[in-house]
Amino acid sequence: MSSVLGPLPGTLEFLILKTLATAGERHGFAILDWIREATDEVLIVEDGALYHALHRMVRRGWLEADWGVSEKGRRARYYRLTVAGESALLEEELRWNRYVEAVAKLATRPGGR
Amino acid sequence: MRNTGPSRRFFRLGQRQPPLDEAVDWEIEHHLAEQVDRLVEAGWDPGEARAEAERLFGHLGRHRDRILRIDRSEAAMRRRTQGLEGALAVVRTSLRAIRRQPRFALGVVVTLALGIGVNSVMFGVVDRLLLRPPEHVVDHGDLRRLFVRRSFLGTVHTQSIVTYPDLQDLRTAPEFKSVGGYTPARERTLGGGPNATRVRVALASHDFFPTLGVSAHRGRFFAPEEDRIGVQGAVVLGFDFWQSAFGGDPGILGNEIDLSGFRLPVIGIAPPKFTGAELSAVDAWMPLEAGRYLEAGSDRFMHTYGSWWLRAVARLAPGSTEEAATARATALHLHGRADRIERGMYDPEARMIAGPLILARGPEASSESDVARWLAGVSFVVLLIACANVANLFLARGARRRREVAVRLSLGVSGRRLVGESVFEAALLALAGGMAAVVLALWVGPLIHATLIPDLYWSPGLDGRLLTFTALISVGAGLLAGFGPAIQATRINLVDDLRDGGRGSTGRKSRTRGALSALQASLSVVLLVGAGLFVRSVSEAHDVNLGIDPDRVALVTLELDSPDADAETRLRVYEEAAARAGAMPAVSHVALTDVPFQWALGQALGAEGWDSIPALPGGGPYYYHVTPEYAATLGLSVIRGRDFEHSDQEGAPVAIVNATMERVLWPVDGALGKCLYLGESNQCTTIVGVMEDASRGGIEEELHMAYLLPLSRTDPPEIMGLYVRTRGDAAEALSPMAQTLRSFSPDIRWADVSTIRELIEPQVRSWQLGATLFTAFGGLALIVAGIGLYSLLAFNVAERTREIGIRSALGARRGRIVREVIAEGARFAVIGITVGFGVALMAAPAITDLLFQVEPMDPPVLLAVTVALLLASLLASITPALRATRVDPAAVMRTDA
Repeated sequence: MSSVLGPLPGTLEFLILKTLATAGERHGFAILDWIREATDEVLIVEDGALYHALHRMVRRGWLEADWGVSEKGRRARYYRLTVAGESALLEEELRWNRYVEAVAKLATRPGGR
Repeated sequence: MRNTGPSRRFFRLGQRQPPLDEAVDWEIEHHLAEQVDRLVEAGWDPGEARAEAERLFGHLGRHRDRILRIDRSEAAMRRRTQGLEGALAVVRTSLRAIRRQPRFALGVVVTLALGIGVNSVMFGVVDRLLLRPPEHVVDHGDLRRLFVRRSFLGTVHTQSIVTYPDLQDLRTAPEFKSVGGYTPARERTLGGGPNATRVRVALASHDFFPTLGVSAHRGRFFAPEEDRIGVQGAVVLGFDFWQSAFGGDPGILGNEIDLSGFRLPVIGIAPPKFTGAELSAVDAWMPLEAGRYLEAGSDRFMHTYGSWWLRAVARLAPGSTEEAATARATALHLHGRADRIERGMYDPEARMIAGPLILARGPEASSESDVARWLAGVSFVVLLIACANVANLFLARGARRRREVAVRLSLGVSGRRLVGESVFEAALLALAGGMAAVVLALWVGPLIHATLIPDLYWSPGLDGRLLTFTALISVGAGLLAGFGPAIQATRINLVDDLRDGGRGSTGRKSRTRGALSALQASLSVVLLVGAGLFVRSVSEAHDVNLGIDPDRVALVTLELDSPDADAETRLRVYEEAAARAGAMPAVSHVALTDVPFQWALGQALGAEGWDSIPALPGGGPYYYHVTPEYAATLGLSVIRGRDFEHSDQEGAPVAIVNATMERVLWPVDGALGKCLYLGESNQCTTIVGVMEDASRGGIEEELHMAYLLPLSRTDPPEIMGLYVRTRGDAAEALSPMAQTLRSFSPDIRWADVSTIRELIEPQVRSWQLGATLFTAFGGLALIVAGIGLYSLLAFNVAERTREIGIRSALGARRGRIVREVIAEGARFAVIGITVGFGVALMAAPAITDLLFQVEPMDPPVLLAVTVALLLASLLASITPALRATRVDPAAVMRTDA
């Protein structure tokens, strides 16, 4: 892969939900790290934008956050899914799968222009 | 799962959240620090790594602001929903708690309803007597009632009665904007013949109504030219009387009515509930000057400073003060009496005082209002007892619910929320109690008014002030009773309470509850002592020796058809009435007099062996012109000498003196045969008999001298009364007698027949009021306290079920366990008696004046209260004690822990 993609609108929330569902409680930097690694560094999120998304999701009730101390001894804000967040993830997953399937069907359709 | 290492949380920070902006800074700072680490690992120069990290983050300032905005809107949202949801949850939980324990809720509501109800009732009375001005009075802050303080026969006293010239003088004072005079209502006869009825008529000057600021409901009040001697006069009807007697017909305006023989045109209707400057109902108003002239038959009252008969109210002029008004009124008062003062006939130190309009606040306060003040305080004590009881109930329930509370606390429900729920529940129950109290007040209030303070005009129905007061004390009582227990309920040791099923050590709570019970017992004792003292006062007052037998003697007073009948006519009509009454089988004796009960007349008098007759504290000597059977009719025995005979009425002048007069004037050789010199004459009036002392009209009287003279038929005095002695209780014979006397002669417009008991009744009323309500409140307090004690003992027995069970298993005798419980109850009674007597002892000096011939520490009362309290504690402890004996040891052993 030669290029790096920015996420499509609405993708970032899905990625965060998925990350926290898979990896459990994480602070912001670790979430970013995890997304990067999990997508083989294809999807790169701007650092600041991640935090907008996290805080919006807290407001929406999908995430909970509280303070802790990391193993490096730093004070950090940890996020985890709420019940509402888990059901949001299910819906988003369905939506994404349908979307990806639809796009894939179109992309693999034989015949040129 | 990978890379869990450094991103895992090492440990949690405390619950406290940092301020929002600080939190955002912390988070960004953490991110940058991690990024710098990453960059340095990748080979960046540490100095440049920081700048690169910030570049990667994006526009730092803008991101920070946007994040902060999100957080702020979230915080605001959360506050809104949490507040509302929290409140709703509190309401829901409280309602559920009430539904779940209806008996508990009922107990609380009834207890509070009683406590609040008595306060509402007493507030109604005190508000009317002391707090509010009479109805329809405008700007009562500027209104003053005028009092005269003067020394008379060596004692200084203050009176609200003034003379007509005083009123005229006050009208000239620039310190007053206006001045008005009036008399309290007196009964008069409306109409004549068999349809005659009695109405309460007050006199009022033309400027009385504008002074109060009241205007007529229909028509108008008096014009100055109607308030003059020699004009026909006029009458204004009271609203209620207009409604009841004339069906509220406005056509009555302009028509004439017949009041005691005077035909007066109706010119106006007073507004509803208007009672003038006092609080008694008035059926009709007549002009002061014209009315007095008709009453007195002469205009002497206009000019003499010696004829005291009216009351004066005045409105201060703008800018004037009470002191200036008092100074001016005093100057005028003394100026008018300059010659009397010079002749030594009037107190030169006398003052005329601009005092409070509301009579109960002034120096002439009735003893009813004093008693009412006490009762209001007492009703508050009843409320305190009720609150203590409710607090006790809440505490007991809190103790039963420890496990539930512990579970909820451990599930993360905040203590504040639990307190909120309990307090809200208490407030809700208190409001329900308040509503029940209003119903109670509406029901009991009129009863108390009608029986105990009948002179007070009372309009039934709801009143905003009463409702506000009731609502306020309801909430106050709810908070008082609910707050402490609510807080205590959340002070729980989670581990212990969860482990032993809420049956843990409850020593501290029981101590609080014990203290509350002791407090209740003490307050009950104070109230019961008060009740006992008033009851004893009533019975002393009832049994006081008047000389006259109050239940077998009745006084008949006649209103003659012609208001200005001469003395001969009066004698003739009274003699006819006496003959009629005497012919009734129930009547044994009749007698006529010119000075009936509660009147007193004196005249210049000389006595053999004395230059001047010494003055006694009770005044006198007083004289009575009487017919021969007078002493026998009143039930007074002639101690020495003889009673009058018919021949005395026209023969040589003779007299009978009372025992005090003989003892004072001729202590050694007795009064028989001695001479009295009546008026200025030197003719000897020979004393032929000595009679036992009799009351002049009151139950609290100082000794006085009195003498009887035979009533002359050829030169009769104005006969004012006919005494009737009945064979049995007078009350039954009176109604037919009144009927007969009212109808037999066209000369009689009205006959009033009252037993002596009825005439002295108003003097007993304040003790009656105190006795009835103190007893009611004290009894209520004792019942409430008894129930409280019962619940405490029952609770303690329940708490000790295990211990009792084990002890029975080990062979403890049942009697011993019963004794223990009863002794525990008796302990509260003893504490209550001790503390209560102490408080009563301290309060004693304040209450002495309100009692009648009873010491505040009256032994029979103290004994009765002690017995009552011990009995109550025994009653309260019997059931718990029996329950303790029924504890089954085997069952106890089988239960958990």
